[in-house]
Amino acid sequence: MGTALAAAADAAGLDFSPAQKLLVVGVCALTAGAAHMALAVFNDGVRPFMLDFIHGRATRNATGAVSFGLSAGFVFGLGAPMALSTGVLNPWLLFLPTDVLGILAPRRWLAPLLGAAWGAVVVYGLGGANELAHGLPVDFLTAMRQMSTPILFLFALFPALAVTKQFGRLRGALTGAVTLGLVVLTMRVWPGVFAGAPAMAVGVLMLIGFAVAADVRTARAPGTVAAEGAGGVGMGPGAEDPMASLFSSGAARLRRHLPLFMALGAGVCALAQMKVFGGGEATSFLIAKGQYAEAAQVDFYRVFGFLPLIATTALASGAYGIAGFTLVYPIGYLLPNPFVAAAVGALVFALEVLALSSIGRALGRLPSVRDCSEHLRAAIGDALGLAILFGSLMAANAMGGGLGILICGGLYLLNEAMGRPVVRMAAAPAAVLAGGVALNGLYWLGLFTPVAGGPA
Amino acid sequence: MAKILTGGVGKAEVATAVTGLGIAGIEIAVSSDMDAAAALSAGRADYFLGTCHTGAGASLGVLVGLLGRADCHTFGRSVPTEADVTALLAEGKRVFGFSLDRIDTVAPLMARAIAARTV
Repeated sequence: MGTALAAAADAAGLDFSPAQKLLVVGVCALTAGAAHMALAVFNDGVRPFMLDFIHGRATRNATGAVSFGLSAGFVFGLGAPMALSTGVLNPWLLFLPTDVLGILAPRRWLAPLLGAAWGAVVVYGLGGANELAHGLPVDFLTAMRQMSTPILFLFALFPALAVTKQFGRLRGALTGAVTLGLVVLTMRVWPGVFAGAPAMAVGVLMLIGFAVAADVRTARAPGTVAAEGAGGVGMGPGAEDPMASLFSSGAARLRRHLPLFMALGAGVCALAQMKVFGGGEATSFLIAKGQYAEAAQVDFYRVFGFLPLIATTALASGAYGIAGFTLVYPIGYLLPNPFVAAAVGALVFALEVLALSSIGRALGRLPSVRDCSEHLRAAIGDALGLAILFGSLMAANAMGGGLGILICGGLYLLNEAMGRPVVRMAAAPAAVLAGGVALNGLYWLGLFTPVAGGPA
Repeated sequence: MAKILTGGVGKAEVATAVTGLGIAGIEIAVSSDMDAAAALSAGRADYFLGTCHTGAGASLGVLVGLLGRADCHTFGRSVPTEADVTALLAEGKRVFGFSLDRIDTVAPLMARAIAARTV
């Protein structure tokens, strides 16, 4: 039992070295400081509200309440269960709380202290919680690893879904067929490579190709813009001015704080290099398995879904993203050591902040590309939604067979019937955690025997 | 005829949900926050319905900054009543954000309330 427990804890990997612990605590202090000064927030939903806070039209407490309301569900529903089940840290767990703590901190010196405290809670507390949970007769954390197969394979489909949403059935079916063909080919020819990686690369390239082609066609023949195109390419001379002036004041504010952003870039990139951190929704599972090149690919394509949102909200509010365009994640995974990663991360952030104005202008001219990023994020959400639901039921099956499925599936359905008090995406993993606790309770009451052999 | 634009992660779903109702007096089209900001300030559109995972900031994007907080309202993940929506429209709110998993209830509610106002 003792060795099995140690092996389980070891496999889960929540055993950080002192250097890693120090880095996590340091980066959390930095991100909380940046949030306090309203220079960067991780939650894309909070960023538009930072404008009123920066201009003194909203109080610190009101903005903090908004930030808490928008972040809490993702910390407990996405960040914490994913970290517990993979043993890899993620930005929802680390940076959403530092957003809230940083914004709420009444004094500037207090923000980094609170951030550092949260970092310490995560690196020390998570290890303890993990060990405790693995010692239970019904080990729901090991069962949670069932999640990785559906997530990895359904994630490969997201470009095909996005193409279907944006460009219709024909091109969607074509992208889907190419994706499927490449997955089969990769499994057959390069068994060592994650099967979804080449398929995703080609799928994203097809989506961007369709989008750029659509914009080029529209630009060449302005008369053909559909009536419901809603504004289309041109912002109109009268409408461009307020947007341009808002964007340039946002960009100027960010440029004034370039050194702080370079420090932030250095910290986040070094964190990604340490192999204890996964930036995207699917990446933690890959990092946990040591597939860094694949993780870098997945997070690189994900950048296209988020870059326009992060760039435009940053320009409109004057507050940047904690991880910037999230390009430092894939770069970090691939770099050989944390010092190089810190240097490169600082450079990348400097370039991002300096390029923001031109990126904003370019996005203004490429409506289909902006459009495609929204479809990409919707497609990532759809693919992950199904993967997480299915993976959770597989975890429930691994924990308790039919009874497990009844309890976890039942909790999910109950949440739906009650009008979804828990966000749909988080409901299934939360049901697995609650179901795991319930099964342990039944075990102690002598009413339940764990599935023979335990979850593999 | 009130012209509604949709944006955010669920923009296609919102437009489909509303179009399927066949409500008279409104026209709905898929757009994005930047285009909608230009269209609303130029008077080429009347309302914006945005969606994201939380139903807050990202659903509105740059609209909060460009049109001002006074024109915008976010429901978050809550489901408003018809009276709430009518009151908000009467206050002059034009930009609304709600959460992806509430599209099936909030989008028709908004569309009906807007149609009732324009008739």
